[in-house]
Amino acid sequence: MIGFDFDYYKPNSIEEAQKAYKDLKSQGKVAIYYSGGTEIISKARVNQIHFDAIIDIKGIPECSIYGFKEDKLIIGAATTLTQISDSAFFPLLSQSCRNTADHTARDKITIGGNICGKIIYKEPLLPLLLSDGEAVISDGEGVKSVPLTQIFDKELQLEEGEFLIQITINKEYIFLPYINIKKTKQGKVDYPLVTVASIKKDNKIRIAFSGLCSYPFRLYEIEDNQNNINNEIKIEFNNIMDFLPSPIMEDILGTAEYRKFVTRNTLDEALEKLGGVLC
Amino acid sequence: MIAESELEASRAVEMIKVEYDPLPVINSPGDALKQGAALVHENLGNYRIMKACTPVPGTNNANHVKIRKGDMTKGWRKSEVIVEEDFFLPQSDHIAMETRSVRAEIRPDGHIIIHSTSQGPYIIRKKLSRHFNIDTGKITVHTPMVGGAFGGKAAVQLEMIAYLASKAVDGKEVIIVNSREEDMISSPCRIGLEAKVKLGASRDGKIRAAEITYLVDTGAYSDMGAVITKSIASDCTGPYNIENVWCDSMCVYTNHPYVTSFRGFGHLEYTIAIERTMDKLAHALGIDPIELRLKNAIIPGDTTPTQVELTRSNIGNLPECIGRLKDVMNWEEGQRIDIGNNKVRAKGIACFWKTSSTPPDAASGAVITFSPDGCANLSIGAVELGQGSKTTLAQILAEKLRLDISRINVSIDVNTQDNLEHWKTVASSTTYMVGNAVIAAAEDVIEQIKAISSIVLRCEAKDIEIADGKAFLKNNPKKYIDITEVIHGYRYPNGNSIGGQIIGRGSFIMRHLSGMDKETGKGTPGPLWTIGAQGIEVEFDTKEYTYEVVKANSAIDAGKIINPMAAKGVTMGGMAMGLSIASSEAFIYNDMGVILNPNLRTYKSIRFGEEPEYLVEFIETPEGDGPYGARGLGEHGLVGIPGALLNSLSIAAQADLNRLPLTPETIWRTKTGETI
Repeated sequence: MIGFDFDYYKPNSIEEAQKAYKDLKSQGKVAIYYSGGTEIISKARVNQIHFDAIIDIKGIPECSIYGFKEDKLIIGAATTLTQISDSAFFPLLSQSCRNTADHTARDKITIGGNICGKIIYKEPLLPLLLSDGEAVISDGEGVKSVPLTQIFDKELQLEEGEFLIQITINKEYIFLPYINIKKTKQGKVDYPLVTVASIKKDNKIRIAFSGLCSYPFRLYEIEDNQNNINNEIKIEFNNIMDFLPSPIMEDILGTAEYRKFVTRNTLDEALEKLGGVLC
Repeated sequence: MIAESELEASRAVEMIKVEYDPLPVINSPGDALKQGAALVHENLGNYRIMKACTPVPGTNNANHVKIRKGDMTKGWRKSEVIVEEDFFLPQSDHIAMETRSVRAEIRPDGHIIIHSTSQGPYIIRKKLSRHFNIDTGKITVHTPMVGGAFGGKAAVQLEMIAYLASKAVDGKEVIIVNSREEDMISSPCRIGLEAKVKLGASRDGKIRAAEITYLVDTGAYSDMGAVITKSIASDCTGPYNIENVWCDSMCVYTNHPYVTSFRGFGHLEYTIAIERTMDKLAHALGIDPIELRLKNAIIPGDTTPTQVELTRSNIGNLPECIGRLKDVMNWEEGQRIDIGNNKVRAKGIACFWKTSSTPPDAASGAVITFSPDGCANLSIGAVELGQGSKTTLAQILAEKLRLDISRINVSIDVNTQDNLEHWKTVASSTTYMVGNAVIAAAEDVIEQIKAISSIVLRCEAKDIEIADGKAFLKNNPKKYIDITEVIHGYRYPNGNSIGGQIIGRGSFIMRHLSGMDKETGKGTPGPLWTIGAQGIEVEFDTKEYTYEVVKANSAIDAGKIINPMAAKGVTMGGMAMGLSIASSEAFIYNDMGVILNPNLRTYKSIRFGEEPEYLVEFIETPEGDGPYGARGLGEHGLVGIPGALLNSLSIAAQADLNRLPLTPETIWRTKTGETI
């Protein structure tokens, strides 16, 4: 049970959503955007968040688009992880969605909610970071498009009142060689000890991580620190460790040392698939 | 906080601010017993002791149970090979699908009505009566079908709170429903265990001495933990014939959640310690682990740690279980096989036994009445919690009355006022206890039907047989009377009537049980043992230390199997639970004793997709006193599985694994020597 009352809005357009937010704010109310609801409901149930109103974006057509338009794949923020994992539009993304949560939860979790939520893993984000995705954002007045690599730093850096409408990916990325490996503490369904997503573009390997540090990230530094000798890309594990943006996580899933051990094995496996070598 | 609605109550609770003064934390039973450890209960010496229990005032030891059998000096002298191992198992939870819930109301006439998702409605009545000085006749407890229990709903906890809450609001009905988090943290959980096992054997592989220490993590209250400590002591060696046994089983207070019964009642925990040490001993002796177990398997004529003399009837046939397991596991192909790509397949086994730690006067009753159409109605006090006992009892009655099972109705809900008392639905005892009561009630019914029918059919009662709803002459089945004509009295054509409603009554009480001697442990804790051997086959990755359980096998002597499908199902369920506990389930504490995984997002149990292939074999050595020779079976599928997984992974990883849960990190640490 959620122990407080709140209002529910379901706008049919971006403008209606923006107006609802403004109106609520002018009444001094705390409003949050709502999509799949898994995080909001579970946090509200234990009083970890409080709000006066939720604005459900699932009624906004732009948020529910999922498909190709010209040279782009458009992924509406309200697309569920099940929809994505059941589709073959972007195999890497489908796989990373399939590896997230369990089927029942994936039926509810949306990609926008996952990216904008407080959850620290955001595994579906890794393919989007690797493929230079663009975030289409409602900024309160209109709509803007910003490269994910610019606006995502630990979290999606949204201003107050902004919400994510879509992610767009250039078609060229979805055909690239890829690998996505998730390692857990034990069972198949759990948060990752480490998830490694990787693609090869222009003979360079790009790598993104979830679970290794306390937020997901693409390790740009390693893209300029790899040696291509006779079409075999050599990457040094110690380099990767040196470039990590923050210390390796240590929690009930695993100690930092063990995560490091698992990461090494995982990278080994990932690079081999992409014609690389970890050394 | 008592309120008119859940919403009001939860808002009010949010307004309460609590300040805690942190006290020294006791985070393990080992620490609890250290010299100078903070005392969880300073006044332990002044407590009123309700049951046979030996607390040690001035310590955190809430119950010290001793087993002293044979002559240890002699035993060690004969021991040419000695192994010693330490073990650690954390607490975990039952996580029954339905969380605990209760309703309590005090009627204006003072009668107390409790509705509870309980395994022990009659125990609730007894405890409320005892602690609040209320006549048992003024308490009625209702229990519906229960959504899973696994021992966790044998505890009486919320009922007390709900009763007090109802009393505080003039007897109005008060409802308490645990959230998942509350169910895990505030209501009782499964014990943790620290163990030290030392086994000595002569070169021929005969075990000569066993010295064992078990420290039960009972949490902050002893409650059922004290009884589990006793249960562990009574079967402390596992199913092996050992002449010289010294065991100290201690119930130790910690600052963890308090514990209650959990499927296996302490047996799965100590079995891990015994079975891993057995493998170590086999290794030290250079004997095959199966051979070592066969050589020492307990058999009729041997005595248990509490010096019960064993017969074929009460102990069953362990060697046959081991032999069957050996065959189905294809043991001869080897215990560890390299299958390439950093993968090995490995097999491990464990034997187990378990009796019920039942009070010597535990009893059950059954009443049979009939509907006018001749359907038999069976009223019993056993609770249905998914184990299928009511079906088994219907089968027993159908068999006895020779009536089609579709013509048997078994009471589903239990209320303590109308249904016949059954001690409690625990200890794998429903088929055994209630089944015997049902047989007695059926015999009573048969006798009554025969008596009336013999008058109508003008013969002796002994000339009559009953089957398919008819009472007929043995020698001439064509001469019969339909039982519908006699079950509610027989009416002659002229209207004269004889007989009356036929009501069958039957009861059962445990026989020959006794408490355990304080100094030696001598006594008879339960009526019979169910015994068996279990094996696990894993596929292990030697590079990543990950593994997959491929096959899980059980060969169990459960006496007569009354319902083969249900017996297999309940055993597989137990095996799955054993795998879950061994591989994943555990409460994780920080230094302050705070549980870090108090919900199902972070507390992981096995999922459907992670189940291995199960194979269940039964050996059917009849138990003399069991209904049709049946033994208890509800818990047993669980007991040996964690030990078997531990052994298979120790063999696979070539490491001495000695703590649960068996996560890849645990194995990695053991292999690489990293301390935890």
